[in-house]
Amino acid sequence: MNVFFQSLLSGVLVGGVYALIGIGLTIIFGVMRVINFAHGDLLMLGMYVTWGLFTLFNIDPYLSLLITAPVLFLWGALLQKVFINRVLDALPQNQILLTIGLGLVMSNAVMLGFTSDYRILTTSYSSSSFRLFGLSVSEPLLFSFLVTVAITGALFWFLQTTDTGQAIRATAQDRDAAQLMGINVKRMSVLAFGLGTALAGIAGALLAPTYYIFPQVGGPFTLKAFVVVVLGGMGSVVGATLGGILIGVTESLSAVYVASGLKELVVYVLFLLILLFRPSGLLGKSRT
Amino acid sequence: MPPRALLRAPRGFSAPAFLAYLAVILLVALVPQLSHKPLILHMWIMVFLAIAQGSAWNVVGGYAGQYSVGHAAYFGIGGYITMLLLEQHQVAPWYGIGLAVAGSLILSVIIGSITFRLRGPYFVLASIAMAEIIRLAALHFRDFTRGAEGILLSGIPPLTTPWFTVKFLGKVPFFYATLGLAVIVVSANWLVQHSKLGYTFQAIREDQDAAHSLGINPTLHKNLALMISAAFTASAGGLFALYVRFIDPNIAFGIDVSVQMVLICIIGGIGTILGPVVGSVVLVLLSETLRNPKWLVQAGVMSDESPTVNFIEAHLSNAHVLFYGVLVVVVVLFAPEGFLGLLRGATARLRKRLAARRGPPSRPAAAA
Repeated sequence: MNVFFQSLLSGVLVGGVYALIGIGLTIIFGVMRVINFAHGDLLMLGMYVTWGLFTLFNIDPYLSLLITAPVLFLWGALLQKVFINRVLDALPQNQILLTIGLGLVMSNAVMLGFTSDYRILTTSYSSSSFRLFGLSVSEPLLFSFLVTVAITGALFWFLQTTDTGQAIRATAQDRDAAQLMGINVKRMSVLAFGLGTALAGIAGALLAPTYYIFPQVGGPFTLKAFVVVVLGGMGSVVGATLGGILIGVTESLSAVYVASGLKELVVYVLFLLILLFRPSGLLGKSRT
Repeated sequence: MPPRALLRAPRGFSAPAFLAYLAVILLVALVPQLSHKPLILHMWIMVFLAIAQGSAWNVVGGYAGQYSVGHAAYFGIGGYITMLLLEQHQVAPWYGIGLAVAGSLILSVIIGSITFRLRGPYFVLASIAMAEIIRLAALHFRDFTRGAEGILLSGIPPLTTPWFTVKFLGKVPFFYATLGLAVIVVSANWLVQHSKLGYTFQAIREDQDAAHSLGINPTLHKNLALMISAAFTASAGGLFALYVRFIDPNIAFGIDVSVQMVLICIIGGIGTILGPVVGSVVLVLLSETLRNPKWLVQAGVMSDESPTVNFIEAHLSNAHVLFYGVLVVVVVLFAPEGFLGLLRGATARLRKRLAARRGPPSRPAAAA
């Protein structure tokens, strides 16, 4: 039973970060209906920025969020203005290809610049843990989870109460109607892509102390982000939060009870089952 | 059926184009007689394999409009079945590839029946997930696939027929095998473009609901397109594994295999016969030149001491995927119909300009 609770706990902690990745993707999809296949590569950039700040200036990864998040926000806004904006009305296939291409450019540019060596960011607390009710809690995972909770809470507040947040939600609900109401939908798109990129970057920063950092690290996260988002319902922020936790728990339970090499396989099978039998996700309303 | 109908050429058939196609194949087939330089032959083989893969994807992605990004599943299953049969059961590869094709057909029916319930981006995601499930399974079930260690080929038995014997040494046999496959797949694309079956694929691509209302069963025809595509992809996978003599789950089932097949078609021109051919030439020239620029030396284009060759070797040997990415971004933004579309646009403009220079036609001479 202890094993069960232990893996449940670490699943929830990791799931928090998955939720953050998923929320970024779902905001981008909600506002622009663009599926961002470069999402994992944006996360990878966040990891490298964090790693760079740590190795060059010895800035703690959690503190460096204050730099990583704005940098990634600007990068995302730039990508939207220069590239994504041009294909908003194109075929979905072309949007997918464009983001795949951008992802390839980012991961391979980083590979050229920093080689494909695995980097490790070792902090004083990277492998420390404490005991709580007989369970061992990894400190960096707990910190990451707490930061995730804080950021998700702030994001909810932003989307629900501020004017800009409401404008983003209105654009996501109905682009044309929002435009007729006087909302600058182009600006909302830039904001949304920047926000999504910043969230991916934050997730990368939070993963940096416990994960290997290498240029191709993003790919699996892109796919996992889709699973999270589809599970929760495309475009639903609450859904993505729940989806992230659920995927984290599924992964860590199947690592214990199925096989550690098959934990991702179980997640993808779950993904296909959801797509087939509940395509609108757990909380989503419609598929369009 | 009256004999006239049998003799009549199929729709869209043009004798000059057919003769030109045959002439190109014959000319290319002469290449190994002129040059035995291994790097040059390697380039050709990689181009043929890319053409076979790209054109195979084109059937379901280009003509039927179903953007599968999980074709590595068929490529890998082709490679693995061929290699496992040869290494563990001593089944000669020409039978092995046949069984690999059979295996890929079964797999395509399974994958198709799951993924074709979904449309658009959801279909893309499901196709990726299927290929990833197979890759992870191949990594995990080591007793069966040897996992990440991969399968190393110890040797290919000679092919003996009553007329000749082929020993699979060096690159020449693979040159002809891959050329043969590329010709078959490109010809199949022509048939798809001009046959009734192919028309149903294209109708589904243009508007699935309209096609359905005209009595085309979309699920059945999408599955047929996928089966054709999977069979050719698996053959390419089998030949690829035999040629490089090694296979592991990432080489066979990795997502970059799937992405490359899509890129070949996008860069060349999707849903056309020549598009994947053009795309393959562009992509393979690019990636092989950056990976191993020495072929330029063997081709006599550059000398061994050339600074360009040294620079590429020193700095850009890992950059080919970066250039793929840049190419895709540029093509999607500025030339959505690929290189072939650019070429067509350029010739159309040239023709217009020539016509304009000649002035308005047939003005009476007396007016001057």
